[in-house]
Amino acid sequence: MVVDLDKCTGCQACVVACQAENNIPINTKDYFLQRRAYEWIRIERYWEGEYPNVKARFMPVLCQHCENAPCEPVCPVYATYHNEEGLNVQVYNRCVGTRYCINNCPYQVRMFNYWHPNWPHRMENQLNPDVTVRSRGITEKCTFCVQRIRRGEIQVEARAGQRLDDNRIAAGNYDPACVQACPTSALMFGDLNEPNTAIKPYFDDVNNYPGHHEHERETRGYRLLEEMNTRPSVIYLKKVDQYPLADKGAH
Amino acid sequence: MAIAGLAATAIVAFIVVVLFISWFSNPPFGWGNAPDQPIPFPHTVHAGPVEEGGHAIQCEFCHRNVTTGAAATVPAVEVCLICHKQVNGANVTPAAEVDPDKHINIQRVLDRHADNNPIDWERVHRVPDHVRFVHEAHIRFLTQGEPETVTLPIGDEKPINLPLEVPEACSVCHGDIAGMAEVQPQDSQSLKMGTCLDCHRENSVSTDCTVCHK
Repeated sequence: MVVDLDKCTGCQACVVACQAENNIPINTKDYFLQRRAYEWIRIERYWEGEYPNVKARFMPVLCQHCENAPCEPVCPVYATYHNEEGLNVQVYNRCVGTRYCINNCPYQVRMFNYWHPNWPHRMENQLNPDVTVRSRGITEKCTFCVQRIRRGEIQVEARAGQRLDDNRIAAGNYDPACVQACPTSALMFGDLNEPNTAIKPYFDDVNNYPGHHEHERETRGYRLLEEMNTRPSVIYLKKVDQYPLADKGAH
Repeated sequence: MAIAGLAATAIVAFIVVVLFISWFSNPPFGWGNAPDQPIPFPHTVHAGPVEEGGHAIQCEFCHRNVTTGAAATVPAVEVCLICHKQVNGANVTPAAEVDPDKHINIQRVLDRHADNNPIDWERVHRVPDHVRFVHEAHIRFLTQGEPETVTLPIGDEKPINLPLEVPEACSVCHGDIAGMAEVQPQDSQSLKMGTCLDCHRENSVSTDCTVCHK
């Protein structure tokens, strides 16, 4: 996935779409006060400058699906692993809720289910039947909408009458809910195993100029916390500010 | 000491009983697997062969979504009415031949339809909530594709000549539903994960967790 921060307006449509798609319970005021509210994708907001000369910066942060995922080796029950497609998978029915993975995740995108999920009366009718309703006491996180990937695969198979390889997700047949909902197309999604994906040049560029060669990159791409060498599968494109603040503030 | 021993024995016995019950109430054994339906539905009469007094209706005529989607779907009352609008005992001649015991259930269906009241069928084949089974893909595997002979680790494990007709494909996992007055998973028709995995492995289908657990 590629996130173009230049296009992101911080509208939170991805957050709402994710919540609807993935059966995430409604975060009430209580949950926020307890700091136990959770979202699989969140918009981080940063302020730049001093009032009144101030600008807001937004950054959608979701599970980075790291190639060297720090969450995976610490799981005692093998509930989180990397599959052939490069997805960082969380198996809910294996998870016993030790929260080691949450503590080892540098991006804070793994969420612990502190409460039994419930919805207001009749709202449970809008749950997505393709997604498990996670019980209390397990870790959950962004799956890149794996249910849509599987549905896309099945549709391709049904149409073509052939079986796809294990390591090919059917790009172009699906988008995660956040990508689909983004009004400015700030989020782009594709399969890196496919040769001609639109997001491939960004990954090639970032991989070719790692670490200290960052300034030699041709695109605006960078990874979050790149120095940790987790090799995320999400690349962010820097914001290009046409009218920068004259006086850069304290932040 | 004696009390502690008794307590330990009681706890172990309790655990053994719980494990015993939970193991044997799963589909291959089927304790409590054929729940009472609100209206008895004899598959023998509807889907059974004509020679044995059935009407040989195809599975997918009522379970309409089975070849196109994830869920096989239980039909709405309107689907019953496709036939039972006519087959309701009203036009049997002479009227004395109408068997009230037989037609009381048809009348119940008609009443439900008149009252706009859906029938709460009890689910028989149940997989846990964290499993997503797609009927369409499995039906497609069994009914389309190249002719080949496979042995699937479910049912009586006899060699099967693919491709099958849709009703035969259903019988691979569900057994001879057309011969059951009361539907119940039979012996060796396990809905356990091991059976799923055996079959996926033998037919080189992906065994990634996210294929079923999403």
